[in-house]
Amino acid sequence: MKKLLFALLLAASASIFVVQVKAQVIVIANPSVKASEVSKNDLKEVFTGASTSIGGGNVVPILLKAGTVHEEFLQAYIGKNDTAYRAGWRSLVFSGQASMPKSLEGEAAVVEFVAHNAGAIGYIGKATPHEGVKVLSIK
Amino acid sequence: MNRLLVGALALALGAIPATAQSLEDLNIQIHGYATQGFLYTTQNNILTTNSSNGSPAWSEAVVNITSQPTPKLHVGVQARYFLLGNYGNAITLDWAAADYKASDKFGVRFGKVKIPSGLLNEIQDIDPSYTWSLLPQSVYPISSRNSALAEYGGVVYGTLKLGPKLGKLEYRGWGGEIAIGPNDGYWVTFKEEGIALTNGLNGVSSGTALHWKTPVSGLMLGASYTRLNKSSSPFVDTYVVPAGPSTGVTITTPGALVLNAINEPDFFGRYEKNRFMIAGEYERESAIVLLNGLSPYPERSDSRPWYGMTSYKVTDKLTAGVYTTQDVNHQSTLGPARYFKDWAVSGRYDFNSFLYAKAEQHFINGTAVGYDAALNPPTVALPTGLQPSTRLTILKIGVSF
Repeated sequence: MKKLLFALLLAASASIFVVQVKAQVIVIANPSVKASEVSKNDLKEVFTGASTSIGGGNVVPILLKAGTVHEEFLQAYIGKNDTAYRAGWRSLVFSGQASMPKSLEGEAAVVEFVAHNAGAIGYIGKATPHEGVKVLSIK
Repeated sequence: MNRLLVGALALALGAIPATAQSLEDLNIQIHGYATQGFLYTTQNNILTTNSSNGSPAWSEAVVNITSQPTPKLHVGVQARYFLLGNYGNAITLDWAAADYKASDKFGVRFGKVKIPSGLLNEIQDIDPSYTWSLLPQSVYPISSRNSALAEYGGVVYGTLKLGPKLGKLEYRGWGGEIAIGPNDGYWVTFKEEGIALTNGLNGVSSGTALHWKTPVSGLMLGASYTRLNKSSSPFVDTYVVPAGPSTGVTITTPGALVLNAINEPDFFGRYEKNRFMIAGEYERESAIVLLNGLSPYPERSDSRPWYGMTSYKVTDKLTAGVYTTQDVNHQSTLGPARYFKDWAVSGRYDFNSFLYAKAEQHFINGTAVGYDAALNPPTVALPTGLQPSTRLTILKIGVSF
């Protein structure tokens, strides 16, 4: 019985942890992006190549190459893992409809790029310093 | 020559704003993929391979280079090596285009461009992008796909928001020239009948497609309409006298192939939710080919192919799928040559983002699609050379970057 209670406690703790991890991913944008909030659906369309604008202004998605924040972002807002996500982009790339979004090594590099490139939009962990960019709230 | 000029012009226009920028700013990317397939059939030889003995003669390699000098401008070129039995075995230009997307509402692409008809035409030759090894052959026959894949011309496209409760409408319109080279796999069966098209076949193509992304999340319904204008091309008909006093004498006659205008309506839909996908497509294609040569005759076809498919992502790496498809040529005489029916069960395993493997089993009835005469010669017991049913097993491995 104690083992069962311990297992349940562990599972509950894990679920709380997952919720906290999800809450730690934030979406950042260059200050030139006029919108201050974005719907989950619009965000998904931008990061899957279906759309290139938010709130009427052009945006350019920036990816992390890998890592927990990257996987968390894909699961929370795209609904795919990295393999399926990149396969979707390859359909566009190999049919001549788009270039693969820029993928950067590390969250600091994403902040740096987004801060200095008009229209850029990316994602980082909440704890990562993000001066020079604006944080978009998700509707 | 004109087509080369179109391609060169597209790339040159794309390069103008690029010249003033650094390579980093140009966002130059190189991507590619390669696949190797293996086919085994229990009855007939299929897709011009010796599949009844097991055949590895199915290889593809694709490489492209693209640049996005500004967020709205994208230019690129893609080349392909394709071999499937007696089809292909050549390097061809997939596409070479400049794409300017002014906004989500309007964009234009020109050069050699993919034709965005139907549900899967733009990606029917992009193996890494789907679960299956062979797409439903009634709608997307691999043997003649080059005739539908791309054209020298342009595409306009965009997405219109219909309102908060009506979803979005994606539109595409295209026009240009389709060119099927003289050595294209499309002509394999003609060659086996002694007919060689010296210049291949060129024709003017146009069409439009609408994709309605409905308010129901994940549900898309669409339709497209493609027209290929009447076209013709010279050919040489070679006939070897099989019997009598002139046995073995070769008679060569010039002729002309005339393909009457083809109008092709197409209806399709797809629903995706989490790990589940279901899709279907129906099209109507009627054609009259006139072979004006030694023995002029018209060849008529009236096909109404369709398929229904579903897949489920069992784990992050494993996807399973099944589809059924049918094609009946209503102009053909009764018998197995009149129809093609196929059930396919497929699995795909992604080892990582770059490497994948596929396994697929087909249960084929009818011989209307996928067979040639040279590898299925007639016998006394089997005058058509073909058994009515075939079981096809496919294994494939692919890598992409």
